[in-house]
Amino acid sequence: MKEYELFIGPQHPGVTGNMMYHLWVDGDTVTKAECNVGYLHRGFEKLMESRNWMQNVPLVCRICVPEPDVNEMAYAMAVEQLMDWEIPERAKYIRVVILELARIAAYLMSIGSYAGSLGIYTLPQWALGDRDYFLDIFEQLTGARVYHIYIWPGGVRWDMPEKLPGLIEKTLSYTEKRLKLYDDVLFKNRIFFDRAVGIGKIPRGKAIEWGVTGPNLRACGYGYDIRKLEPYAVYDDMDFEVIKYPELGDFDVLSDGCDAYTRMIVRRLEIEQSISIVRQALEKMPEGEHIIKHPNWLKWKVPPGYAFKRVESSKGEYGYFVVSDGSSKPVRIHVRGPSYTHGVNVAETILKGANMADVSQILFSLDVCPPDIER
Amino acid sequence: MKAIEIIGKGEEMHGRAYIPSGREEAGTIIKKLKENGFAHFVMLSCVDWIDKNEFELVYHMWSYEHKEHAMISVRLPRDNPSMFSMHELFPQIETYEREIHEMYGIDFEGNSRLTPFLLEGWHDTPPMRKDFDSKKFAEDVFDSIPEIKEEEDEGI
Repeated sequence: MKEYELFIGPQHPGVTGNMMYHLWVDGDTVTKAECNVGYLHRGFEKLMESRNWMQNVPLVCRICVPEPDVNEMAYAMAVEQLMDWEIPERAKYIRVVILELARIAAYLMSIGSYAGSLGIYTLPQWALGDRDYFLDIFEQLTGARVYHIYIWPGGVRWDMPEKLPGLIEKTLSYTEKRLKLYDDVLFKNRIFFDRAVGIGKIPRGKAIEWGVTGPNLRACGYGYDIRKLEPYAVYDDMDFEVIKYPELGDFDVLSDGCDAYTRMIVRRLEIEQSISIVRQALEKMPEGEHIIKHPNWLKWKVPPGYAFKRVESSKGEYGYFVVSDGSSKPVRIHVRGPSYTHGVNVAETILKGANMADVSQILFSLDVCPPDIER
Repeated sequence: MKAIEIIGKGEEMHGRAYIPSGREEAGTIIKKLKENGFAHFVMLSCVDWIDKNEFELVYHMWSYEHKEHAMISVRLPRDNPSMFSMHELFPQIETYEREIHEMYGIDFEGNSRLTPFLLEGWHDTPPMRKDFDSKKFAEDVFDSIPEIKEEEDEGI
C-alpha cells in the first residue's frame, strides 16, 4: 500500500481548540504523527512581562478556555508566596468550590467531545447543555460565564452570595441524576467497549518518564494527584480518595489500564468525586473575610525570588513558575500546561500504529488543550 | 532536603530545592536525581537576565517518592548561548528545547529536532528575548497596512 500524508486539523483534529496533526498513513494505519501548533499563539508569557502583577490577573485565565480557574489559582498562589500573604480561611474554601465546579464543567466538555468522536452524538448535546448550568453558577458568583477573573492574589474577588449554595446543590443533584443517563449512553454502552478498550495505550513503565499527569496517569495505575501530594487551599481538609486503575467502582475493568477506556472512566468517576468535594467545602465553609487588605492594586512591588506553584487541573498538572526581581512587573512567568507533554510527545508516540478511525478518540481521551502548549 | 543531600549543594527556596549548576555538570546532576527518585520531569524554563547578560535555564524535577521539587539552574552567556540536550533522559525535553531554541535562540547540542514549533517563517530576533521590542514589531508590521478611509455615506 502506498503511504500518504494527511493533515488533520486545525479546526477539529480531536482536541478542544485549534491545532493540527500531520499524519503519515499506510492504508488505515498511522505510521508517523507530528504535532503542529501555533494557531492560537498570542504570546501570553511575553505580554505578562510588560504588565504589572495585577494587570496579569485578567490575562492568565485566558490560557485555558474549558477550565480557566486553575490558571488564576496557580498564579495567585505564586504571587502570594512571594508576597508572603496568608489568605483568609473563607477564601480558601470558596476557591475549592470554584475549582471543583470548573473541574466538573471541564469534564462535561471532555466527555461530550469524546462521545462525539465515537459517533455518539447525543452526549455532546447533553453534556454541553448540562455544562451551561455550571456556567450559570459562575455567572451568579463572578459575573462572567467563561473567564471568571475571580481568584485574585490575596483571596477571591467577591464573597459568595447567600443564595448560591442552594443553586449549587440543585445543580449537583441534577448532575448526579444525569450521570446515570450518561452511563447508559456512553460508559455502559457496547459501542464504547468495542471502540475504546485497548486503544491509545501509554506504556505503564514509561508514563512517568514521559511526563504524563492527571487522569491520564491515574488510568495507568499511579494514584498521584497534586491535591493529595501538595495540598493547596483546603484540600487537606477534604475527604476523598484518589481514583485510579484498577479501582473503577461500578465500572468493569475491561483492560489492563492505560487505554482510552480507562482514561474516560477515571474522568467519569472524578465528576462524582468533585461533587462530593464541593458539598464538603460548602458545609465546612467558615464565616469571615474573603480577601486580605491589599496595598494599592497597581503599585505592588513583589519581593525578588522564584516561586513555583502547581494545581491539579482536569487535564493534569498545571504549574506557574514566577520570577520576580523586586519590581512592579514580573521578569518571567512560565506556564506548565499538562497538554504540553500529552499533546506533543505522548500523542506523537502513541498515534504510531493506530487506526485512522481512532485518531480522534485517542486525542480526546488524552484531553489535549492547545493553549496549554502555546501560551 | 533530599535533592540537596543527593547533589551535595543547593539551597531551600520556599520549600523547593534550588541547585545552581555549571553547564557541563548539569547533565550529571539531572541523571543522578532521576536515578534517586526524581522521576517526573516537570518542565524546562528559560529566564532572560539581560542586565547580567545571561540566560538562566531552570530544569524542574519532581519526586513522587520524596514529595519534593528540585530546580536545577544553569546560567549561560547571552552571546552564542549553547547547552547540551537532555532529551535522552526525558523525551519531552525535546519539545522544551525546541521552544527555547525558537524563543530565546539557545542552541541545544544533540537535539536533531530544533525545527520551528510555534512560529512560522520567523527571521527576526527570537521573540522572548528581553531586547525584542514587541510594541515596535507590531507597529512596524501592522502600521504599514494602509488605513481604509470610509467614504461618506450620502444616503439614497
